[in-house]
Amino acid sequence: MKANMKLKNRYDKIASTSVYTLGFIGVIILSMIIFYVTTTGLSLVSWDTITGDSATINTNVYLDTGAGNYMPDEILPEEIFYSETWGIGLIDTRDREGHPIIEIAYLHPESPLLTSLDKNNTDEEGNPIEIEIKLDTAIEKAIFNNFTSFAFLTDGAEVMRDQFEQATSISDLTVQIVGGGIRGSVITTFWMIGLTLILSVPVGVSTAIYFNEFAKRTRFSSIIRNLVDMLTGVPSIIYGLLGAAVFIPLLNSTIGTGGGSVLSGALTMAVILLPTIIKSTEEALKIIPDDLRKGSLALGANQTQTIFNVVLPNATPGILTGVLLGIGRIMGESAALIFAVGAVIKDSVFLTERSSTLAVHIWVIMGGEAPNFELAAAIAIIILVVVFVINFIVKIFAHQLQKNMNWS
Amino acid sequence: MSEQTLKKPVFQLNNIDLFYGDFQAIKNVNMTINYHEVTAFIGPSGCGKSTFIRILNRMNDLIPSCKVTGSILYENQDAYDKNFDVIELRSKVGMVFQKPNPFPMSIYDNIAYGPRCQGIKDKKVLDEIVENSLKKAALWDEVSDRLKKSAMGLSGGQQQRLCIARTIAMEPEVILMDEPTSALDPIATQKIEDLIVELKQDYTIVIVTHNMQQAARISDKTAFFLLGELIEMDDTNKIFNHPKNEKTEQYITGRFG
Amino acid sequence: MLSVQSYITPKNIKKKNRGDLIARNIFRATSILSASFVVIVIIIIAIRGLNPFFTSYEGFNNVTGIVYLEPVNPVTFLLNNQWLQGPVGASSDYGIGFAILNTIIAVIMSTFITVPVAVLTALLIAKVAPKRIAAFLRTVVELLASIPSIIYGVIGLGVITNIVSWFAGLFGVQTAAGLSLMSTVLVLFMMTLPTITAVAETSIRSVKKDIIEGSLALSATPMQTYFKVVLTSAKSGIFAGIILGVGRALGEATAVSMVSGNSFSGVTFNVLETTSTLTSRMLLGIKETSGIDYDIRFSVGLVLMIVILVTNVSLKAVMKKVGNLDES
Repeated sequence: MKANMKLKNRYDKIASTSVYTLGFIGVIILSMIIFYVTTTGLSLVSWDTITGDSATINTNVYLDTGAGNYMPDEILPEEIFYSETWGIGLIDTRDREGHPIIEIAYLHPESPLLTSLDKNNTDEEGNPIEIEIKLDTAIEKAIFNNFTSFAFLTDGAEVMRDQFEQATSISDLTVQIVGGGIRGSVITTFWMIGLTLILSVPVGVSTAIYFNEFAKRTRFSSIIRNLVDMLTGVPSIIYGLLGAAVFIPLLNSTIGTGGGSVLSGALTMAVILLPTIIKSTEEALKIIPDDLRKGSLALGANQTQTIFNVVLPNATPGILTGVLLGIGRIMGESAALIFAVGAVIKDSVFLTERSSTLAVHIWVIMGGEAPNFELAAAIAIIILVVVFVINFIVKIFAHQLQKNMNWS
Repeated sequence: MSEQTLKKPVFQLNNIDLFYGDFQAIKNVNMTINYHEVTAFIGPSGCGKSTFIRILNRMNDLIPSCKVTGSILYENQDAYDKNFDVIELRSKVGMVFQKPNPFPMSIYDNIAYGPRCQGIKDKKVLDEIVENSLKKAALWDEVSDRLKKSAMGLSGGQQQRLCIARTIAMEPEVILMDEPTSALDPIATQKIEDLIVELKQDYTIVIVTHNMQQAARISDKTAFFLLGELIEMDDTNKIFNHPKNEKTEQYITGRFG
Repeated sequence: MLSVQSYITPKNIKKKNRGDLIARNIFRATSILSASFVVIVIIIIAIRGLNPFFTSYEGFNNVTGIVYLEPVNPVTFLLNNQWLQGPVGASSDYGIGFAILNTIIAVIMSTFITVPVAVLTALLIAKVAPKRIAAFLRTVVELLASIPSIIYGVIGLGVITNIVSWFAGLFGVQTAAGLSLMSTVLVLFMMTLPTITAVAETSIRSVKKDIIEGSLALSATPMQTYFKVVLTSAKSGIFAGIILGVGRALGEATAVSMVSGNSFSGVTFNVLETTSTLTSRMLLGIKETSGIDYDIRFSVGLVLMIVILVTNVSLKAVMKKVGNLDES
């Protein structure tokens, strides 16, 4: 018996060790995700990225005036070749594909280049539009002094800087203003959340009220319940197909959109979110003791008054939980929106046009030959922070609710 | 029970049967309830007294399988008639429950709830209603300085008096009470019993109680229920001192229950 | 003083009742609306999905200009080993037979690795670990469950494919930058792990205490008790979790499309080769398609829904049978 016991204990130890090891795989995965996302993307998480344009602009600019004397207000490293005449510092570097380019590495705060004129884009009256040359703008070619002196990409930053120094006017600069911002997607995401909630919450809460307060055990109500339950089993890409097949044509014929739009995406997301809202609301309604309803009815209120005055106000925390979970869902949804809206990144967002949410933005920049890991990771950080915070808030809510229930 | 009180019936019930599906819970009950009297329903648990009292304000309507037959006249009108709105009935026949059920709102809002549901919005009017109701429920002195605080912070006895005040705010004719003190301590119970005797002057009270001594203390008329039947109903002192029915006597003397 | 009773006039009552009735009808109508979406989804997918089998699409051929394509043949569609035979936009010879099998292979493989890990993690959280560690692990699982699939896709491309690439290198095998069945399976593993773990944990926690105490009283060790008694009692709940996880894996789109390689044809058994699933084929090239190449995705969606339905029904039937074997 003793030997048997020893064997059993040893088996037990092995078993529990393996359980612990395997159990911690989840921790390893989470840490790996957080680690990767942070190390790859944290550098890009900045106000500039969030508010910046996404598109990279290739254009030509010129400046008639502005040559002066701009002293740099900090000590610049050796690699930056600075021109005091125009207040810019140039550097030799490489682009994402590895080709050598010349970039603007420093701009004097009063540099005239900050308000240079765009040769290719004019406003309605034919006047050239002002365009802002930013840091990290690449200069391909520079022509100065009425086409009398030149500098090319192949000359290198130092030579180009020398040409800048002696120029009295800039006749043509072929520039590439790097985008890589996500402003359009941030705005789109806010709109998507707002519109989806406006559509989904009233319908969902109302449905839950019907289920919990009115529907009796009739065949009709159980059929409806089953149908609503089935909504959760449908993968989101199928909802995307629904959006493409129903909402886009619907909006095309009623509002005159031309294909996918933020609106069609919101309608689609509202359907996806419906089961979540219904479930959370139902849970919240169930918790409310029946005594309260009876008390209200005994005072001569009818059922609707009881619901709005007594039941719903107390169900608000639960409904809010559903809303918060829904926000997380909207922020993360990709497949459905790719079908129901389209995968196009925009810098100016119009509700009747296509645009991408943050998740779809990741999809777009990760596709193709050169996936932009850094920007994708940066956006991922933003999404994860919001989702984790929401998770945290929901947990606190649930905890508070438990405490309140035990109190009264 | 002064001789001056006109013994007029506010409720006249005849041949009342109540079914939950196939199960008959109330069997052929006939009863009169008079104005400005306290009528107590007594009987062992499951005898139907709580079910019966809910006929008076049609709370049974909320249970889908429940069917009531017979004649139920409130102030000489058929209370179950289609044209008699149940909301109106409930505003005239209020109910206080066994477990105090204040709404999770301020004391003020609890009392103002009923009047607001009927459309009263004027703050001055509501203030007056709240004060009067709390005074009549003997709660005003204790809460007048914290009307805006949550009702959930009151003690059990205070909450029950709040529920009574809430009902009073509707200016009912009748107040039904379903075992109102069974969840309270003796001191709170005493306060409510005193209150009931006082309220008798302005309202008609029907009270369900499993505590015979309570019935003996505060009621004018007592009705003894057993297994869904009304065994005996008479002046309280007659029921407790010279009961006519043998079963009544057995219950009173504690032979069963 | 204004009497409250004076407010209770027949006119007021009628008004209130009308309001009550309107509200009731609105509540009822919205619940019918919610329920109808399922029906709408099924009908629409069916119609748009069956359309290519009955319509002659207009195609464009570089040689002859506009061509009229044959309606898609449902039999070849379901059985073919290659996504498309012929030039895009000029052929209707689509096939997803290979994609159906590849999807099933990927899901089976990922379920195989996920289930043991999920169940043991659930056991750890529910029974074995002390309270603090259990709470920590539970939070970790919840956080993992809340991570959207696109981010798993980024991790897939950024980390998993590199790992697979390196792993293949150990054997001297060249991969398509790590895009492979193995990457797909690993990504699906990460995504379905929290789902199955959460359900399994609830199931394990609800096993009655007296069964556990009975086993311990018979001098079984805790571990023996967990494996022999607790897990078997929680069997049906765990199985339900597995069905949930399988459903999620079958429907997963973005993450899988980023790491699978989106193979054009062939059933993949070699984990280091590229593969594709029904969902990944639906997403591939979505930006530039039109005409039959766009509509055929609805047909793939229809097939996907049928696959999910059949899987759910068969797994539930298996669950019932296994459950019944125990009820004696």
